[in-house]
Amino acid sequence: MIITKENITNFIPHRAPFLMIDNLIFADAERFESDFFIEENNVLVRSGYFEESGLIENIAQTCAAGFGFLDHGNGAEPKIGFIGAVTKLEVFELPAIHSKINTIVTPTYQLGNIFLVKGENYCNGRKLLECEIKIVVT
Amino acid sequence: MNETFVTMGLEDIIEDTRDFLSEEFEVDRDLILPENSLKDTLDLDSLDYVDLVVLIEENLNIKVTGEDFKEIETFGDFYALIQKKLSL
Repeated sequence: MIITKENITNFIPHRAPFLMIDNLIFADAERFESDFFIEENNVLVRSGYFEESGLIENIAQTCAAGFGFLDHGNGAEPKIGFIGAVTKLEVFELPAIHSKINTIVTPTYQLGNIFLVKGENYCNGRKLLECEIKIVVT
Repeated sequence: MNETFVTMGLEDIIEDTRDFLSEEFEVDRDLILPENSLKDTLDLDSLDYVDLVVLIEENLNIKVTGEDFKEIETFGDFYALIQKKLSL
């Protein structure tokens, strides 16, 4: 674990109740990995399940934490990023409350200040959702 | 030189490029002409350029950077870039 839940807000701009990542487990230039425990009072829980939008936000925040960690290692301030587009979205299942999800983000292309990343969420080894996100970094 | 395209001439590559651009960006293939604007014809915004970079790499196996696009106005410029990248 390279960033714990207690320190994650030092690396990303998101704050409760819209904090959708706990720990950053791994990050290098090619891959970021995080985990997140879904509390029942999460604002993106409906009818006992974490919504698709929560899974996408979790991918985006994993991406922010990964880039924030790498920027910090290079002595730079973490940058602010915005979701520009979500494409190639496939939802397989939604995780129930009180489950822990693991998320893998793979940066695939960069063109100027726009990054294309592939994101995948898993729960107990089962894939929940995958998509590509274009993130515009300020 | 890119081995994949050693046996293809520039004309073949241009025709292939017109095919995948028209399909991906849902544009009439006949509008993809050397003198026409790449940006206007494909209706590209800044995010679409990322898709274009991905398409070029997947279809032509060459890498294009943001710097490369600064010189490109028309499809003719675009084909010249491909030609340069493939050393044809």
